[in-house]
Amino acid sequence: MIGAIAWFEIRGRFRLISTWIYFGIFLALSFLAALAAGGAFTGASVSAGSGKVFANSPYLLAGVISALAEFGVLVVAVIAGRAVQQDFEYGVHPFFFSAPISKWQLLLGRFLGALVVSSVILASIELGLWAGYHSPWVDAKQLGPAVRWAYVQPYLTFVLPSVLFSGALFFGVAALARKMLPVYVGSILLVVGNLIAGALTRDLDNKHLAALIDPFGSNAFENVTRYWSIAEKNTRLIPLTGDLLVNRVIWVALGLAVLAFCMWRFRFAQHVSERAKKAQAEPVAPTPSTPASQLKPTLRYGWRRDLGLVPSLSWMLFRDTVKNVYFAAIVFAGLLFVFGSAKALGSMFGTNTYPVTYQVLGLLGGGFGIFFLVLITFYAGELVWRERDAKVAQIEDALPVADWVPLLSKLLALVGVQVFLLGVLLVSGVLIQTFKGYHHYELGLYVHQLFGINLVGLALLCVLAITVQTVVNHKYVGHVVMVLYFVLTLFASTLGFEHNLYRYSHTPGCTYSDMNGFGHCLGPQRWFELYWALFAVLLALGTRLLWVRGTDPGWRERRRRISARFGGKVALTAAVTLALLVGVGGYIFYNTNILNPYRTSVEQEALSARYEKAYKHLEGAPQPRIVAVKVDVDLHPKTPSAHVRGTYRLRNKTGAPLSTIYVSDVSREVAPEVTQEALTLDREAKRTDDDLLGFHTFELAKPLAPGEELSLSFAFAIQDHGFTNSGMETEVVHNGTFFSSTLSPHLGYQPTEELTDDSARRKQGLKEKERLRDLNDPKGRLNTYIANDADWIDFDATVSTAPDQIALAPGTEVRRWTQNGRAYFQYHRDRMLNFYAFLSARYAVKTTTWNGVKIEVLYHPEHPYDVDAMLAAAKASLAYCSKNFGPYPDPVLRIAEFPRYASYAQSFPANIPFSEAIGFIAKVDPSDPKDVNYPYFVTAHEVAHQWWAHQVIGANVQGETMLSESFAEYTALMVLKHKYGVEGMRRFLKYELDGYLRGRGMERKKELPLERVEDQGYIRYQKGGMAMYALQDMVGEDTVNSALKSFRDQVAYQEPPYAISTQFVDALRKVVPADHAYLVHDLFEAITLYENRAVSATYRPLGKGQYEVTLQVKAKKVQADATGNETEVPLNDWIDIGLLDDAGRVAYRVKKRITAPETTFKLDVNWVPAKAGIDPLNELIDRDADDNVIKVERSAS
Amino acid sequence: MFGLLGPNGAGKSTLMRTLATLQDADGGSARLGEVDMLKDKDSVRRTLGYLPQDFGVYPKVSAETLLDHFARLKGVANGRERKELVKALLQQVNLYDVRKKALGGFSGGMKQRFGIAQALIGDPKLVIVDEPTAGLDPQERVRFLNLLSDIGEQVVVILSTHIVADVTDLCQRMAILFGGRVLLAGAPLELVESVKGRIWRKVIDKAQLAEHQAKFQIISNRLSLGRTVIHAFAEAAPDASFAPTEPDLEDVYFAAITGHLTPSAPAPAAQVG
Repeated sequence: MIGAIAWFEIRGRFRLISTWIYFGIFLALSFLAALAAGGAFTGASVSAGSGKVFANSPYLLAGVISALAEFGVLVVAVIAGRAVQQDFEYGVHPFFFSAPISKWQLLLGRFLGALVVSSVILASIELGLWAGYHSPWVDAKQLGPAVRWAYVQPYLTFVLPSVLFSGALFFGVAALARKMLPVYVGSILLVVGNLIAGALTRDLDNKHLAALIDPFGSNAFENVTRYWSIAEKNTRLIPLTGDLLVNRVIWVALGLAVLAFCMWRFRFAQHVSERAKKAQAEPVAPTPSTPASQLKPTLRYGWRRDLGLVPSLSWMLFRDTVKNVYFAAIVFAGLLFVFGSAKALGSMFGTNTYPVTYQVLGLLGGGFGIFFLVLITFYAGELVWRERDAKVAQIEDALPVADWVPLLSKLLALVGVQVFLLGVLLVSGVLIQTFKGYHHYELGLYVHQLFGINLVGLALLCVLAITVQTVVNHKYVGHVVMVLYFVLTLFASTLGFEHNLYRYSHTPGCTYSDMNGFGHCLGPQRWFELYWALFAVLLALGTRLLWVRGTDPGWRERRRRISARFGGKVALTAAVTLALLVGVGGYIFYNTNILNPYRTSVEQEALSARYEKAYKHLEGAPQPRIVAVKVDVDLHPKTPSAHVRGTYRLRNKTGAPLSTIYVSDVSREVAPEVTQEALTLDREAKRTDDDLLGFHTFELAKPLAPGEELSLSFAFAIQDHGFTNSGMETEVVHNGTFFSSTLSPHLGYQPTEELTDDSARRKQGLKEKERLRDLNDPKGRLNTYIANDADWIDFDATVSTAPDQIALAPGTEVRRWTQNGRAYFQYHRDRMLNFYAFLSARYAVKTTTWNGVKIEVLYHPEHPYDVDAMLAAAKASLAYCSKNFGPYPDPVLRIAEFPRYASYAQSFPANIPFSEAIGFIAKVDPSDPKDVNYPYFVTAHEVAHQWWAHQVIGANVQGETMLSESFAEYTALMVLKHKYGVEGMRRFLKYELDGYLRGRGMERKKELPLERVEDQGYIRYQKGGMAMYALQDMVGEDTVNSALKSFRDQVAYQEPPYAISTQFVDALRKVVPADHAYLVHDLFEAITLYENRAVSATYRPLGKGQYEVTLQVKAKKVQADATGNETEVPLNDWIDIGLLDDAGRVAYRVKKRITAPETTFKLDVNWVPAKAGIDPLNELIDRDADDNVIKVERSAS
Repeated sequence: MFGLLGPNGAGKSTLMRTLATLQDADGGSARLGEVDMLKDKDSVRRTLGYLPQDFGVYPKVSAETLLDHFARLKGVANGRERKELVKALLQQVNLYDVRKKALGGFSGGMKQRFGIAQALIGDPKLVIVDEPTAGLDPQERVRFLNLLSDIGEQVVVILSTHIVADVTDLCQRMAILFGGRVLLAGAPLELVESVKGRIWRKVIDKAQLAEHQAKFQIISNRLSLGRTVIHAFAEAAPDASFAPTEPDLEDVYFAAITGHLTPSAPAPAAQVG
């Protein structure tokens, strides 16, 4: 019987078109996901870790399948809910209630049917992925060997249990409520709630709890695989063990329990209220009346009256929309999401920023974005179909109202809904700021961003959605078309459709910076908005012609109506709009494609490839070196524009005469805002110019003799010519100019212009290239990794700017003066790398001194929050470095804020540009044990670069950044250690460890040991910091610093050949004691990982307040190769054994030589520890750091 | 009041919708006074009241609110006048007491009366009612027809129905529509008169029906007290077992749609009033 009922349900469902639409949607989504992960669209990276983790690896398959299945809940809820609710909706439930079947049979049968249907629909995910990876469009290099079971296994472990749980839940809800509304709302809340929960639990702690409370098992999946190596990700199926197994069991059980409960509660009878529900009682006696026919109300027709109808109709439609419960539920879910993510606003290192308005706006726009799309899509359908759904259309359509009235009213109502939502967001934003104790409300900015920029885009989407609904003339197909549109826009740019002129509603966009406001980007933004607004008017006119009135027309009939409606007025409006559109579009095209070169990214790549193909053979051709740079920069913040004039002094440092000089400069084709104005040598030469690629050849009439010098002068301007497709350039702006010497000319071929991405290179017919020269390649040692045309230069700069701004360049300020109403600043520095930057802004300045060095922080006056921390960090770092590594060479040190168009800090001699996004608005709560004072940390790091980069600089080979970034990171950690103590370092080290492990999991090519680090942030910063921290803890801070000092003394300000990492490793070997020698190899020359774990811990009172603690630990050391294949290596290591007090502090710590995989220690102490374990401070690289300590139990004996 | 009679699928609603500007005609013409009904849709809409077959309402909206909404669209721009009109119409259709109630709770008859109320907004010259009595219980039907008859005294009403009695009860003129064509048109009494003496009745057993249908021009059959009553159409008694009977409109209707009665006059479908 149950089988028959289930079969009835299944058959019925599969006859419905909606079932196949759901199937098709998930098939298409997963197919696209596969194409994206498989590199079918260049540059798109849907995958969590592309590169060496194959797109079709079991790890990625499981991730994608489980993620898509989460959204499948929306479908499962509908299928399961309808299975039990449809009987009530169609009123056929009495038939079933009176049939000779029990309620258990009926419900169970229906549920099984729904389960089967849902499972079949979600199987489309596997099918779509499989088809995607086997389609001809994917890049075969992205695929590994196919593991067929990897498609099936996640379906069994993730999809089916989730279907069972959510199906049971919503089946139960629908059975008890006998309505679909709670099901719809509930499913949306479940999906969104889960997204929020995911965001909240992504924090470092409570990972196990997070894994268990996630109904879809994604967190558990992440826990199980977090630190998997590339090799493991490519080959291992996701094991159903540990957190994942517990999670799946819990949720399946919970689902069954919910189902059982609902079946038990379900009453196999009609509700009493339902039986009682009858039509309204008929009034008994007719009321006497004035006959309506005797009333002669004034009747008004015509366009004035029609126009007058629009406001009230729009208002009515708007009100009906927002009063709707679904609407409230979706908005509620969106707000929940926004408020949920507000908890981690602007989080870096687990530390929040102040909720400055642009941060909050970013949160609102990002968090609520998807809800806007959902609401517009859905309610466009509801509004267009409102009368037809209610079967009122035949009445309304026969009323004397013009066709455009309902169209316009619906459009305005839909736009009104967006205005309403934006208003809700504004209030939410202010509330978020208030809750966080921030009271600098910038309502003007809110209004400008939300209603001046966001609303335009939303209104354009509203027009499109209404148009689609009208043209398609089928509500659900209309929804599908809109979803397809959204998906396509995601991929449009990767398919080469990049110009905003043919991407509906697309504009360059405007990034708001507290320093620079919207800058000068609003102009282009408004032009594009105007262009699309005109286009939207045409869409609306077309919609008016196609507007459905009366019976549903076929296409033949619609054509006839179009010609009937296409009267003079419509034609005139269309013609005028079209003329304006062409005019505005033409103006934009003139700006983006004629005043400026326009290239798609592929064309841009082709240009890079051309440069490489044409001039690569000149790489390494002997050239003179730049020995002095003199630049004059005139900044005009108002325009904004800059003029740069400079002279290089070149010297032939080779032993032979040089007759040809090559100069690379920035071509307008690459940077349209840069106009080269002059490039001259001070001696006679025959020149050949390739302006397109920015390459110039000077054949000297008289060769440059060894040791001889000559001058190269140049001039260029930086100013936007009109505007480009990407809006404004951010180098020279109204307030917060920041550009570097990458815009200046350079000598010789510049390999930095080469394409680095392997697939991009292949597409351009270039061979893949190594990221860096080999560590031992002598050619690489001829240059630093900063510049290939100079060693150390004398630097002179004069920068002028608006009188209310301060202009900065590296070095010491020589002079400042005012002339012709402009402020001038002159800077000088000897022995500097050929790398410099200019800044100018309206700054507030805070100053302190340390040992005669003047320390300044130049900041945006609204960002005073972290200035003191920066000053303190600069002092501490200067003190630490001077004491341990050598004197600070300059009399001044400046830290200067720049707008958030970039988010990094960068050290130049005596001058540190620091983005407003990464420290100036950090809200560090000293009382929160989890907060990390990262402005302090970053400042300490950047100050350390005054030694590690600007004195000691690596050769341009593998390991180059170890000598600057790793050393600076180490120095910053040391500065912190002296501020917070060893115990206080745990939170920093935890971030370092997590960052390293995450980074190696996402490695694109190959992981390398520290001494061979390439362009790998997770190695040069996190691994470098960890390794050197562990080293100093083992062999002593002084020992490490003595090696650093002797290394600095040896190589500071050196000429080629430049220093390489192994020189430092050798220096270390000399000072590290023999019994710790293994560390040098493990940390610098190998990729070493530990698997340390506390097994058990007990204590036994010995009397007299003494206790014996027995601690059993496991230890294991492995070393990994470039792709993560691991080999266990014998253990003979010093590792901390520690005891933690009730507050969680490591109160007792001792280093033990551990040689066996399992060791038991007995420790006598005079207190009862709360926890005990191995490597309790997480100094060693250990993939599961959480199991290092364990609770200490009282011994049973 | 003009009755348009025909079985389901005869094309009544298509004609109604075409007259109500909701559907384009493939050909032909229709005039309302000076107005070309197929071209000048705006003018038609201003003078038309239309009650579609099987229409719906917004279930959560009250009768008063929705009627006010329709009145606004119909051109009653003045709020006070509209209020008065809505009140009067609701009183006229006897829904005034339930004016604040949500339409979702209305019975079929109440809904139809609401439909009539909206069709009467703005003093229409022509009211089209499409199958208004389908699905009403006998009491509701009577009440509705009374209302319709009152209205018919003041304006032109075209009533489409497949129930012969509706026409008998209400209409001065009528047409019979079948297969998209007008078979017969005229005053009901005259039409009945025209078949007088040509309708013959016989009571038979159910089993004999097929045999009779093969042999005689049987236009209708119905059950009565467990036996079958058949009517035959013939100039003279088909045989002795048939008795003459007084024809009614139903006989005209059945004779027409079974093809035994040919049109006596050109189809006057659009010449109403």
